[in-house]
Amino acid sequence: MSTHQHNPPRRRIPVLPYLLILPTIIFVALFTAWPVTLSIYQSFFLQRLNIAKFREPTFIGLGNYVELFTDPSFLNTVSNTIMYVLGTIPVSIAIGFLFAMLVNRKLRGIGLARLAFFHPMVLPMVSAATIWLFLFTPNYGLFNTALKFLGYSGPENWAGNPDLALISVMIVAVWKNSGFYMIFYLAGLQNLPSDVYEAAALDGASAWQTLWAITIPLLKRTTVFIVTVAFIDAFRTIDHIFVITQGGPSDASTVLLYKLWQVRFEYQNIGVAAALTAIFVVVLLVFTVSNFVLSERRKD
Amino acid sequence: MDNRPKNIFARAGTWLMNLLTFVIAAIWAVPVIWALVASFRPASEPMSRGNVWFGTHLTFENYERAWSLAPFGQYYINTIVVVLLVLSIQLITITLAGFAFAHFKFPGRDVLFFFILLQMMIPTTALLAPNFSTIRQLGLFDTRLAIAIPYFGSAFGMLLMRQAFLAIPNDLVDAGIIDGCSWWQLLFHIYIPPSVPALVAFGLSSVAWHWNEFLWPLVITNSDKSRPLTTGLVRFTQLGEIGARWSLLTAATLMVVAPLFIAFLIFQRRFIQSYLHTGLK
Amino acid sequence: MKNKSLYLLFSVLVCALLIISGCAQPTPEPTEKSAEPAATEAPEMTEEVVEEVPAEEPPEEEVPAEEPPEEEVAESVTIQVFYPVAVDAPIADILKGYIEDFQAEYPNITVEPVFSGGYGDVHTTIQTTIEGGGDPPALAVLLATALYDLINVDYIVPLDDYVASMEDGEAYLDDFLPAFLSNSTYDDQTWSIPFQRSAVVMYYNADMFADAGLEPPTSWQSWAEAAQALTVTEGDTVNWGLHFSSDWPYWLFQPLAIGSGQNIIKDDCTVVFDDPAVIEAVQFYIDLSETYGAMPPGVQASWPTDPPDLASGATAMIAHSTGSLSGLLDQADFELGVMPYPGKEEGTYASVPGGGNFYIFKGAPPEQRDAAWKFIEFVTQPEYAADFSINTGYIASRKSVIETDAMASYLQEVPQAQAALDALQYAGAELSSQNLAEVRNIFHNYLQQAFNGEMSAVEAMAAAQQEADAALEPFCQ
Repeated sequence: MSTHQHNPPRRRIPVLPYLLILPTIIFVALFTAWPVTLSIYQSFFLQRLNIAKFREPTFIGLGNYVELFTDPSFLNTVSNTIMYVLGTIPVSIAIGFLFAMLVNRKLRGIGLARLAFFHPMVLPMVSAATIWLFLFTPNYGLFNTALKFLGYSGPENWAGNPDLALISVMIVAVWKNSGFYMIFYLAGLQNLPSDVYEAAALDGASAWQTLWAITIPLLKRTTVFIVTVAFIDAFRTIDHIFVITQGGPSDASTVLLYKLWQVRFEYQNIGVAAALTAIFVVVLLVFTVSNFVLSERRKD
Repeated sequence: MDNRPKNIFARAGTWLMNLLTFVIAAIWAVPVIWALVASFRPASEPMSRGNVWFGTHLTFENYERAWSLAPFGQYYINTIVVVLLVLSIQLITITLAGFAFAHFKFPGRDVLFFFILLQMMIPTTALLAPNFSTIRQLGLFDTRLAIAIPYFGSAFGMLLMRQAFLAIPNDLVDAGIIDGCSWWQLLFHIYIPPSVPALVAFGLSSVAWHWNEFLWPLVITNSDKSRPLTTGLVRFTQLGEIGARWSLLTAATLMVVAPLFIAFLIFQRRFIQSYLHTGLK
Repeated sequence: MKNKSLYLLFSVLVCALLIISGCAQPTPEPTEKSAEPAATEAPEMTEEVVEEVPAEEPPEEEVPAEEPPEEEVAESVTIQVFYPVAVDAPIADILKGYIEDFQAEYPNITVEPVFSGGYGDVHTTIQTTIEGGGDPPALAVLLATALYDLINVDYIVPLDDYVASMEDGEAYLDDFLPAFLSNSTYDDQTWSIPFQRSAVVMYYNADMFADAGLEPPTSWQSWAEAAQALTVTEGDTVNWGLHFSSDWPYWLFQPLAIGSGQNIIKDDCTVVFDDPAVIEAVQFYIDLSETYGAMPPGVQASWPTDPPDLASGATAMIAHSTGSLSGLLDQADFELGVMPYPGKEEGTYASVPGGGNFYIFKGAPPEQRDAAWKFIEFVTQPEYAADFSINTGYIASRKSVIETDAMASYLQEVPQAQAALDALQYAGAELSSQNLAEVRNIFHNYLQQAFNGEMSAVEAMAAAQQEADAALEPFCQ
């Protein structure tokens, strides 16, 4: 998979690379792998800390998983998560790409525009969500004011309307992340070879054709990288849900990690929480691995 | 940065595109601009329809109040220490690991790669109790080191550096090997120099992430001498008994992020430029 | 080259920072570590922790102890108290003042306050600490309703022995307002002491009422009609007569149920959702928007914005916590009225308490628990409780507090505070049951579906009852 496959000569199994990755492995093993392994182990046991007779773990095999997959509330969580992921990732990546195109020009003050697009990344999610809580206020929240200015006359109860609640947290996530992805696209655009474009111009290709036939394919590696990061981030960030909707109304904005939180810290059901963790990890791992395999297979 | 014709927008209606850019940028910045304005609004003047921007006068009372409600001075110091500590160790580990994965072929490489990548995928929630216990056993409870140490290995950083290193042309590397460079020299003279922008790029995202991290520091520290800014901020965003005190809240938030913003403003050009050469093609 | 120096710089930076992080703490810290982690420190730590010391020396220490030097009198004790901050008041400073006074009176006890955010964060922190093998604080303020959850995980100790050891323990307990003590007992034992308590009230704009020729409502009927009359449409915006937030609905909803004749909670194992009176209360909420057009339809996620909206005149009435009183007084330029909810029948009223109590933790050693009790006694003294109440907006929790000079004059100056206090006589018990989080989430789920019109009130409450009973079953056999 690497374009450089060098081995220090005269050794069949090089020791050096292992030494180089050793520090990282140690920290990851201690603070990530160990807790996850513990979690996965615990997921096969029944353990509920707030019921005396269930405080000590008892082995139940796949019982927790069965309980989850037959629970309509969990299935609702899964569908919310899918919607959230599908709603935020393509949108924020597309916006990031658009921004990159817009600011990839020599223009006075373009730095200011870059700053404007990128700055949300610098805010804590809790603060960003709190500001948006105000923006979503019915009647005078700035978001609603702007929508009404553009002719929108629909519901404004972003946090209380079950059809809008999930969308509201998606909006916050997109606002926060698009600028971050813009940066990587900017890098990609800057490093594109000019000869291909010159050839295309000579061939009389239109701007639109150039975009789709040349620019986007050449940015594939960047896009794959961003999709991986965005996918993981979509699963991992829930601070804004705590602030804006608390997972509601009626669990309409409860996603996987939020459910995990509830089960672990509110319901104290260690076994089911561990099962949720395991599912969480498996989903992300499968996605990341397949992403890599697919992208690395095609060598640009 | 030149205006090469590969940009679709450069050709079509440049003036319109410029306008569009700045309009969208302005819109994108509205939330924070509002927060800035609201933070100078007197606390006794609530938001109401048609009156959400400036109050009757500008005042610093919210900042003074926010500053007095939590020991922000100490928190600033702690945050800076933690963030820099994390970053400096991370820069070392990610460079070495990225180099190993990009340059060498060794048994178990892919497995180890995904093992490290796991770190990006685990939610903090799942890690709280086990990591707490590990930290206690290391005797590090309630220290700034405790906040930092779980992040010393960085999967994201390793990923980024590996990408950057992979983009170094083969001929350069081969030339180095032929010249008899040791791995150390290869790393320092061939791989790292063009990848410094990637290091800087990573540094920016690491600083932003750890500056704003909230739950783990809250749980692993007890005393103000170790706690970072976010724990102070939480005193304003979790006021469950009362309604929102927007002026106070925005003032506290801006106090927390101001150094980051200012640093970013100052170094913006260099940061963006360095991002532009991270070797992601 | 530039890069070598870059790396050199980084290495130097690393070493410098590790040293800084070790030394930069203002007070010398036994647990603060430099580059070399832990091997030497770990045994020391675990020893201190594990030792259950008998009544005399050596002093038992919490992990990051700021311990007065060892040459003190015997039985030097340090306790940690975890406080949530849920109001916009300088709680930290106020409490530190009390702690200083306390430490002056009990020089062998050191109290370390720890502020960890809101109730939820404090609870999470304590949970993580205990589960991660750490020492819990001796004392914490947590929600009054957390009682059964805390007992179920075996975190807390009953307080009857402490109360009995007081000069007049019974009088002490009797002195607390009954509404507040109602969440402290289980199994004939007392487990918590009220500290920062609040209640649900209805705030209204007395000027708007006067202008419209209306009296403060005395029944559901007059309440709905007043709200309807005070709903004004200006162009395309509606100034609703009533804002009634429902994105965390159980607390603000309870007085409706109580006012209808049936509280939603009977005891720790019995919740009452599927009851005609409760269903009527749900329907009343729905009717307020649907029939009377007096408030926004559906679930209102307006808890943060309701007080500013009342203050700015965007609405005439809101349902909120007594904790918002001082903020409202600060922002309103009209006469602010405070009253309990009207009940269904004419002349009846309803409210429900809220807020946090002191709990003593089982995992702390006996000396710490004893010291914690002393602190509770000290801080709940009438003068201190009055001072706390006046400065934070929490309600006086004891009758003798009301009788102190400070409180008496405060209540005279601020009649709204008196009204808030008066509302308590109509209070029922706050929702607290076994498996509280799950039961509450179930209730929220169905209540919100009813409010949003996704289910009828009858169906919603029936479903809620069924699921809640199932959730309670493993806890209540």
